[in-house]
Amino acid sequence: MITRYCCFLVGDDCFAVGSDGVAEVLRDGRITHVPHAPEAVLGLIHLRGRIVPVIDMRRRLGLNATEPPAGRTHLVLRLHDDWYSLLVDEMLDVIEVAEDAIEHPSKPSADSTHDAVTGVYAGADRLVHFLDPQRIVHSLARQREPFLQKQGASHGGL
Amino acid sequence: MRLPLPLRGPARRGTSPPGWSAMNDNREFIEEFLVESSENLDQLDRDLIALEERPDDPQRLASIFRTVHTIKGNSGFFGFSKLGALTHSGEHLLGRLRDGKIRINDRVTGTLYSMVDAVRSIIQAIEETGVEGEQDFRELSQTLAAVASEDISLPEPPAPVAAPVPVAAPVPVAAPVPVAAPAPVAAPAPQPVATAPATATPVQESPKLSGTVSDSSIRVDVGLLASILDLVGELVLARNELRSIESMDPVLEGVVHRINTVTNSLQEAAVKTRMQPIEHVFNKFPRTVRDVAVACGREVQLVIDGADTELDRTLVESIRDPLTHLVRNAVDHGIEPPAVREAAGKPRAGRLLLRAFHESGQVTIEVQDDGAGIPVEAVRAKAVARGLIDATAAALLPDERVLQFIFEPGFSTAAQVTSVSGRGVGMDVVKTNIEAIGGTVDLKSRPGIGTTVRVRVPLTLAIIPALVVRSAAERFALPQAAVSELVSLRAEGGPRIEGLAGADVIRLRGRLVPVVFLDVLLGLRPTTAARENGTVVLVRVDDHEFGLVVDGTQTSGIPADALAFGGSLATSLPATRTEAASLSTIVVKPIGSLLGQLGIYSGATVLGDGGVVLILDLRGILRAAELPAQPRRSEAETPSTRSSAESYLVCRTNAGRRIAVPIDTVVRLEQFAGHELQNVGGKCLVRRGDLFTPVVDADSLLGVHSVQADADALKLVVLDDRCGGIGLAVRQIVDVAEADSMLQPSLASPGVAGTLAVGGIATEVLDLGAFLPSTGARL
Repeated sequence: MITRYCCFLVGDDCFAVGSDGVAEVLRDGRITHVPHAPEAVLGLIHLRGRIVPVIDMRRRLGLNATEPPAGRTHLVLRLHDDWYSLLVDEMLDVIEVAEDAIEHPSKPSADSTHDAVTGVYAGADRLVHFLDPQRIVHSLARQREPFLQKQGASHGGL
Repeated sequence: MRLPLPLRGPARRGTSPPGWSAMNDNREFIEEFLVESSENLDQLDRDLIALEERPDDPQRLASIFRTVHTIKGNSGFFGFSKLGALTHSGEHLLGRLRDGKIRINDRVTGTLYSMVDAVRSIIQAIEETGVEGEQDFRELSQTLAAVASEDISLPEPPAPVAAPVPVAAPVPVAAPVPVAAPAPVAAPAPQPVATAPATATPVQESPKLSGTVSDSSIRVDVGLLASILDLVGELVLARNELRSIESMDPVLEGVVHRINTVTNSLQEAAVKTRMQPIEHVFNKFPRTVRDVAVACGREVQLVIDGADTELDRTLVESIRDPLTHLVRNAVDHGIEPPAVREAAGKPRAGRLLLRAFHESGQVTIEVQDDGAGIPVEAVRAKAVARGLIDATAAALLPDERVLQFIFEPGFSTAAQVTSVSGRGVGMDVVKTNIEAIGGTVDLKSRPGIGTTVRVRVPLTLAIIPALVVRSAAERFALPQAAVSELVSLRAEGGPRIEGLAGADVIRLRGRLVPVVFLDVLLGLRPTTAARENGTVVLVRVDDHEFGLVVDGTQTSGIPADALAFGGSLATSLPATRTEAASLSTIVVKPIGSLLGQLGIYSGATVLGDGGVVLILDLRGILRAAELPAQPRRSEAETPSTRSSAESYLVCRTNAGRRIAVPIDTVVRLEQFAGHELQNVGGKCLVRRGDLFTPVVDADSLLGVHSVQADADALKLVVLDDRCGGIGLAVRQIVDVAEADSMLQPSLASPGVAGTLAVGGIATEVLDLGAFLPSTGARL
């Protein structure tokens, strides 16, 4: 089975998500900061009547050692009823890959760089890491701020 | 709601009834028929109840007849034979009623209700499976025929024996005639012939009549409406940008002005498409009340008022279950059995009032019964038994507060579990459901007089008037419904934030209201910058009142009085106390589960300048700020108790005693380091400005052995001159709250004037008069 993937650059690495879930690609967007949001969530953008959280993929993948380039791109994904924007360094092309050409890691990794990677594919000039959007978001949902932990604790006491 | 009909499959085969092949072509019509029939059935329920009350109302009867006839006609057209047979029998019975051949009695209405239920179940079956289903309604048809054949002159004939048989087999029209046989009177025999032309008339007019509603309204997909609303929102933003372009061209100016006007009207109209009269919920209640009343042996007169009150259609759905529960409760638990009522000198039939109306941007729905009221003592006893409150505090708690325990999970005072209610689930679920949509539930009950439950819900969740505030460099929106007042801290001689670290308060008209610094709470700044020159937004959430300290409210550049919403709020406050507040109508957009789970934002909105602004969830802010519990009485309660209730400052002494002093004796709350205290002539003094204030350890007044205080942060409650202008040293400022009960002097002890309940907890009130002469303090 052949599937289409959108490839993009974060840091020096190439990542890809299935093109089915991609709703839109935006060049810029005014980001509204959300206090107490998980660290990788930069804020919110407005996309035609919809409010979309922006996930900084450098932070999310732990690749924020160097300064991000100016003018990054929003890759807007639709995940069930929720929409997310992945802020990536640069969009690359759309590739078609046969399912059996993808190598899947033998066991899932726990670190933030690899926990959302479902497989790797050796492209013509670079290695492509396939990401599961669901996992990108879900591990963020698990990150809880100290502020909220405190809140949760006091909850139990009430 | 409408399910696609699974019409493929067996339907196409030549062996199917003729109606089936028609179905594929008529799919759309059938869907229409199903929806229309469901509505008609609701109408039937209402009409039948009205008919029970006024049996000789010919118009009502005609309306019922028409409705049943329409269903019958359509079912014949689509080939639903069971439905046709059943409605035919019903129609015959109704025809006899209309012609005065039989009279309305319980048996007649009961049978008609059964028919409505049967029709409903067939309709549902068709909706779900496309076919009428396996159920057999022949017996019911027979009963209908039998009831129809009962003669006016026969009081209550025993179940007819032979009559039903001929009716069951042939559905055709002539059937009723032989049924009349058991009647000893011969006269009715020709009558059916007369009914035939009579029924013919409605045949022609019925489609028209039922069509009058559908002529003026059409069914539109809800998703489509939502997207229209989104697009209108976009248009509004574009319009705003257009307006901000400076232009010298008068032609362009004119066009912009027109676009502006049209956009406003369009937005208004689009918003209206979301509204639905509460009738859609109320409609079900006559039947609910009747069924519950019959099951519980009650007589109930239901009065519905304000059914045309409109609210957001999503909310209409959310309030259906809670309201149904309240209505059932009122009939089952509220209204007494007729005999009990008569003994109490009340009319046999209880009165249940269901009232809806708009009030200050919200919809209020009242469910009011004139029943026995809630047994307060039983609730009190149960609350103690369940360990919700200790016995002493319970005894001190006023009745209105005791009634609040009804909303505790699993709390039911019903001695007996009935099929209708009393299973211990209910009021808490009602409260949770209503609060989930931003509403409130109030309960008032007077023994012997009745119970009123008042539910308040917002008009809509999608569009709310909001106040936009600034904190650090960010903007946030607050639902205006929660905002009661704006206070500027910049004004000369105006209110100041005072108090101790972690227990900041603002004093307003004699009240101390806790405050929260939004910038600090949200981590925008390590320490607040708004303490001296910010604005305090007083908000009320549930029963809590607190002040949210922000840098300011957003000035929009539009004069406050020109704003669509709440212009009155901005202008009613003195100019020195507030800058022109930016109150605007905002469209609430979801922020998704990822950020929603933070619990401090209820959504986001896009402002006129295109900026995204988060909407604060004030309930979440209150939780996050960990303010001390400080329930306030709701406005609904009698104002007299409110004004007479005294407010107290509740503190914890160094030895851990919970004490209270009347708030009006408190001048300031301050904090000192231990070394600032000076011991002069056996008195402990602290310098406050130019004056020395004597300091007393609260424990010493109580005759309790003093415990070493935290020397770095001595907390001082400074009392006014009436109390010698002394400072009371305590460990912690707990709360400012109104007393829940009267002072009980019987519980006095040295230094203690008595005990009362504050915030539901028994608290000792310091006897200020007694210790004044002996202000020679020991700390």
